[in-house]
Amino acid sequence: MLNEARLVQLQDLMAQRGWSFLLLYGHSWRKDFFRCVFNLNFAGPHAAALVTRSGEATVLVSDPWDYETAARAKQVPVSFEPDFGNGLRNWVRKYGGAGHAGAIAGMEFLEARHLDAVRHGAGSEPASATADVEDLRRVKTPEEMACLQKAAELADRGYQHFADVIERGMAEYELVAEVEAFLKSNGAEDNFMLIASGGTEVTGMKPPTDRRFQEGDQVTTELTPQVDGYWAQICRTLVLGEPSPEQRQAYSIFAEAQQAALDLLRPGVDISDVARVQNDVFRKHGFGEYTGPQYTRVRGHGLGLHLDEYPYILEDVHYVVKEGMVLIAHPNTYLPLSGYMVFGDTLAVTRDGCVAMNRTEKKLFRKDG
Amino acid sequence: MKRGWIHWDRNELPAAAFEARLNRLRQSLAERELPAVAVYADVWRSNYARYFVNFMPYWNRSLAVVPREGKPLLLCGLSPRVYPWIRSVTVLEEIRPSANPARQLLELAAEKQWKRVGILDRAQWPQEIEASFSASSVEFVDVSPDGLYEPGYDEWELAMRRRAAGMARNILAEAMSHGSEETDYQFVGRLEREFRRAGAEDTVILLSDGKMAPAPARGRVFREGCSVTVALEYCGHWVRLSRPRAAPAVTESLRSYWESLLRDIRRPAHAACYAETLSGPLPYESCDRFALRPGDLFAFHAEFRAGGQRILYGDSCRFGEAGAELL
Repeated sequence: MLNEARLVQLQDLMAQRGWSFLLLYGHSWRKDFFRCVFNLNFAGPHAAALVTRSGEATVLVSDPWDYETAARAKQVPVSFEPDFGNGLRNWVRKYGGAGHAGAIAGMEFLEARHLDAVRHGAGSEPASATADVEDLRRVKTPEEMACLQKAAELADRGYQHFADVIERGMAEYELVAEVEAFLKSNGAEDNFMLIASGGTEVTGMKPPTDRRFQEGDQVTTELTPQVDGYWAQICRTLVLGEPSPEQRQAYSIFAEAQQAALDLLRPGVDISDVARVQNDVFRKHGFGEYTGPQYTRVRGHGLGLHLDEYPYILEDVHYVVKEGMVLIAHPNTYLPLSGYMVFGDTLAVTRDGCVAMNRTEKKLFRKDG
Repeated sequence: MKRGWIHWDRNELPAAAFEARLNRLRQSLAERELPAVAVYADVWRSNYARYFVNFMPYWNRSLAVVPREGKPLLLCGLSPRVYPWIRSVTVLEEIRPSANPARQLLELAAEKQWKRVGILDRAQWPQEIEASFSASSVEFVDVSPDGLYEPGYDEWELAMRRRAAGMARNILAEAMSHGSEETDYQFVGRLEREFRRAGAEDTVILLSDGKMAPAPARGRVFREGCSVTVALEYCGHWVRLSRPRAAPAVTESLRSYWESLLRDIRRPAHAACYAETLSGPLPYESCDRFALRPGDLFAFHAEFRAGGQRILYGDSCRFGEAGAELL
């Protein structure tokens, strides 16, 4: 559970910043800062790890079963307090040292009352370490890469299952139930998934509805299974029946855009250029207006312990890509040719380029009746 | 999956339920001379927003704003492309895009000329948003959820929670009767399929192998003597329960013993007991069973020892005027 390599990185960071302790907070939706140093998939709503300058780590949880699981690992001292605020105050005072300047990664989503508890425990105003720790996390260790590769392989198998079981007359939520069952049966901790079905009236993906699939539907999905804490993603589009010429044309634009991202992505490039080369393909084909926020969100994003990590791949986001980053490039957007279409793979940045972690065929999928 | 099929069946949960809740909220605003109150919602913290306007985001964070006069509106972190869908599953009509909810709330206050705005349960808001209220010219006033969000006294809420609990109980009973040689992954997969086909939006499933505390599946055989704890969300209504994989007669005797513990829940027991509140802003959270009050919704689990195994039985309950009762 304890990530020793991360612990060393955090000590270096604390030395640079002059922090005497670093608290890494997680709640049920954002476990990532906590799990980056202590990879416990906690069930209670709160957990925190505290690291000192000397490299000692301790953990605080708010659920008795989490406490048992964490303590059983016998790696660090573990505390349990169902009143998490009260627990934080005493725990920070004991381990952080009263009057010492500390910092919190994940401070922005810590409850206001819990931040007050840290202030009282430390007797000082903590700084936010969120951006610094998030930046450290962008470059993955070999162990993290292995987890992401497992997640990407499960995403491939999950999409194959999606394509196998979809049928006319099935409701969107019924298909999601089948995919969810498959992913969990094969070891996924969790999965984030969006879906849409229909024609050119579809402008985006959302949670499933009770809409039933029909002949000619274009069905889009974004599958994001989580393995050992790490999320990988795949985006594909499937047509029930023969794709129309417009759908084929749209797909060819998406494939060209994604290939442009793959061709460019390597250490040293500005992430904004990875967005620009994708958008340029749409512009070249006369669909530049569909690369803006009215029709799409991002051209991709980081992946790791959170499923929507920075940097976002957008033309106005500047960040120099590093070896060891894991990103998805997905030029997902609405086009009048086809309605909302998606296409994307998880990519690992190598020394001189990038490799796709997904193996699913790059094509517009079709399913005949 | 975080939030599968989000739907609103108006026969099951009528619009009148929300109107009654909103009217109570508006009355409170009038008493406090507040022109509006803001309610925070994100993926995991949406009980309040779901209760008042039926909004439960699958992603991002938003603020539901309830004015004293007029209809509620949403400052929404999601794309406008999904607003028609949000309108179809909530009581909301006006939705404004809001990448920065705090700033958008300040702009709304300026637009409406509100000098004071209520913040429902301010202490549990994320620090990032809450901190931005301090330096504002608008006065933000904490509004306690007590008396406003009381799911244990709301018949519509209780009916939905009972429906969710019934769904979980029936599917678990059926699932426990098959597949004794499967792994915990396979068992969880089967449960996911059945829960989601029945309409659940989200689940959190933990398993105990009879030795260790319940935790996410680890690829072990899920056999007799193991237990499962399920948190299930149906139309935003969370319940939680535990069941052993055991012969029906064993399960029945555990249930009987568990009921006796439930009747005396505020007394010390020989079995290890765990309680979680289902009445707070979060789906569930550990709580002190000795501090339960009338109207509280909670989950109660007891751990029994048999043949060296730790076996769990638990269910979702309400603390009524006459004591604890099964939902």
